[in-house]
Amino acid sequence: MDEIILHTKGLAAGYGEKAVLRDVSFSVRGGEILTLIGPNGAGKSTMLRTLARQLAPLAGTVCLGKEDLAPMHENELAKKLSIVTTERVRAELMTCADVAATGRYPYTGRLGILSEADKKIVAEAMALVHVTELAEQDFSRISDGQRQRVLLARAICQEPEALLLDEPTSFLDVRHKIEFLTTLRSLAREKHIAVVMSLHELDCAARISDTVLCVRDGVVDRVGRPAEILTSDYIETLYGMAPGSYDAFFGGAGEQSFFQNRGCKSFPCHKGVDEADFNCLFCYCPLYALGDGCGGSFHYTEKGVKSCVDCAFPHRRENYGKLLARWPEIAALAGRKPDGV
Amino acid sequence: MESGKGRRVWAFVLLAALVLLLLAANLAVGSVRVSADELREVLRTRGGVETAARIVWTLRLPRLLAAALLGGALAVSGFLLQTFFANPIAGPFVLGISSGAKLTVALTLILALSHGRTLGSAAMIGAAFFGSVAATGFILLLSARVKKMSLLVVCGVMIGYICNAVTEFVVTFADDANIVNLHNWSMGSFSGIRWANLRVIAWVTLVGVLAGFLLSKPMSAYQLGEGYAQNLGVNLKRFRLELILLSSVLSACVTAFAGPISFVGVAAPHLMKSLFKTAKPIVMIPACFLGGAAFCLFCDLLARTMFAPTDLNISAVTAVFGAPVVIWMLVKRKAG
Repeated sequence: MDEIILHTKGLAAGYGEKAVLRDVSFSVRGGEILTLIGPNGAGKSTMLRTLARQLAPLAGTVCLGKEDLAPMHENELAKKLSIVTTERVRAELMTCADVAATGRYPYTGRLGILSEADKKIVAEAMALVHVTELAEQDFSRISDGQRQRVLLARAICQEPEALLLDEPTSFLDVRHKIEFLTTLRSLAREKHIAVVMSLHELDCAARISDTVLCVRDGVVDRVGRPAEILTSDYIETLYGMAPGSYDAFFGGAGEQSFFQNRGCKSFPCHKGVDEADFNCLFCYCPLYALGDGCGGSFHYTEKGVKSCVDCAFPHRRENYGKLLARWPEIAALAGRKPDGV
Repeated sequence: MESGKGRRVWAFVLLAALVLLLLAANLAVGSVRVSADELREVLRTRGGVETAARIVWTLRLPRLLAAALLGGALAVSGFLLQTFFANPIAGPFVLGISSGAKLTVALTLILALSHGRTLGSAAMIGAAFFGSVAATGFILLLSARVKKMSLLVVCGVMIGYICNAVTEFVVTFADDANIVNLHNWSMGSFSGIRWANLRVIAWVTLVGVLAGFLLSKPMSAYQLGEGYAQNLGVNLKRFRLELILLSSVLSACVTAFAGPISFVGVAAPHLMKSLFKTAKPIVMIPACFLGGAAFCLFCDLLARTMFAPTDLNISAVTAVFGAPVVIWMLVKRKAG
């Protein structure tokens, strides 16, 4: 078994004087993934920022290996810990290879010029997350899914012992979510990196994590293996949902977090169908069941199929609140079988 | 990657050639004709007795060198500010920093003159630096509250107007003799720069630009965003302070000697980004320096010759060429 890499004891995180999250203690070994789950505003991002030393802990300690994080030299820290955040990356006139290569900075000299060895590491990192063919493309002109991968490659270039990710899958569609998380897991295992991330997708958290840590009302509510924790009863408690609404919607805990439109002519999942003939949003948008009141923009095709243009489903974190507020309504509607389209 | 390298090499060669060509043009062209042989003679003997030689040595040469150095300083200062604010239209003139420097220099000048003293180069830069830092500090305070960049620029323009108004007000009450000088200077001009000034300008500018160049590694990390920069080992507090002080020193040096000069700080970096197809500081800082130098040499050449023997103020010319670049950039950004 790998040794413990990231370790916190009695950690309190927050802005100014006020602790958003108190008394957090956990440890992550190399190759392990720990996922933070919990409602919006529970302090997941604050905690990740504290772990990355972007915020000073209000109490307690964070240790990387055997060392305390607080007094560590900046460059030292940069070689041991890397991040993928929700911060919008401003990369003016930068190719994807340029962005990934910034991960090598802690290892370069005064002017940050890359050696041949550095370039090789960048190329390897990009190959590892399957973005080699994007190397020469403009970073601002690639898709969200590709962007997250390039940022992951950038993080790997730092050759970290620990990797922190803040909602890395929020902007991605279901296929890219799965691809990203699969890559992340094999990466953690291969390179023995300790991964701490926050996720909103509980089913993903259940499948990818070694440990799940639930934060609620400013404290760690539960820590443990996903199967023990992510029961539908507990999820309803954690997110303050009406009893029974989670199961009613998803048909059993951990089964699927997306609505399957079994009435879709391409079900199951578009085998042998032209891409132009389906809209993937059909198959996982929980708001689909709301019919015309889903809140997004859409139009009906000639065949009477609803084609979503601007989905209100929370691919973006700012939409979560909206969705949660309507949860009872959605759940009630989803309780009955979706109208076959 | 290799093609990018080739592009950079020829772009640098092109720029350097352009700067040399403009230097030569500035030296040779003017209201008094000077032949090539005479020029060679003047440069070899460092001056001469004839009128033509004196004009070239004491007027043209310091002026063109100042235009090149200060133009470069202005462009680099603009690039530093753009990196700092992550906004391509940030610049010392746009954000009111030049106007702040102008105000403090005017105040100091009037105060000194009314006591019958003149100011040395160092005191001028000091006063301008104080004004730059004060204006920048004010902008920073605003930027903590005003998150939207376009609004911040509007605030900067307003600060510029306020500073200009106060300057005008002060100038109105100055002695008649001083007003003429002050007025000339406050409109922006490279004229009247002497060899003694030039020595100070050269030191401040070259050291400033070199220091900027040495900051290019943390700067390129900072270009990704603050969080990532911090994660890459950049000490954010120290780096931001270094960046803002450096850009203030450079723009202060320009304002102290040539007055506020518009748009070079925004237009030159943008033109260089388009030419080099990169925003990497390690390339951009030398490129901006050369580009700013070429831009100011070109504009000063026009300012001197278009309505010779009357000098246009330099800001009028830089605005004519710089403002369209800025507008073009804004339109392109909206589209893209």
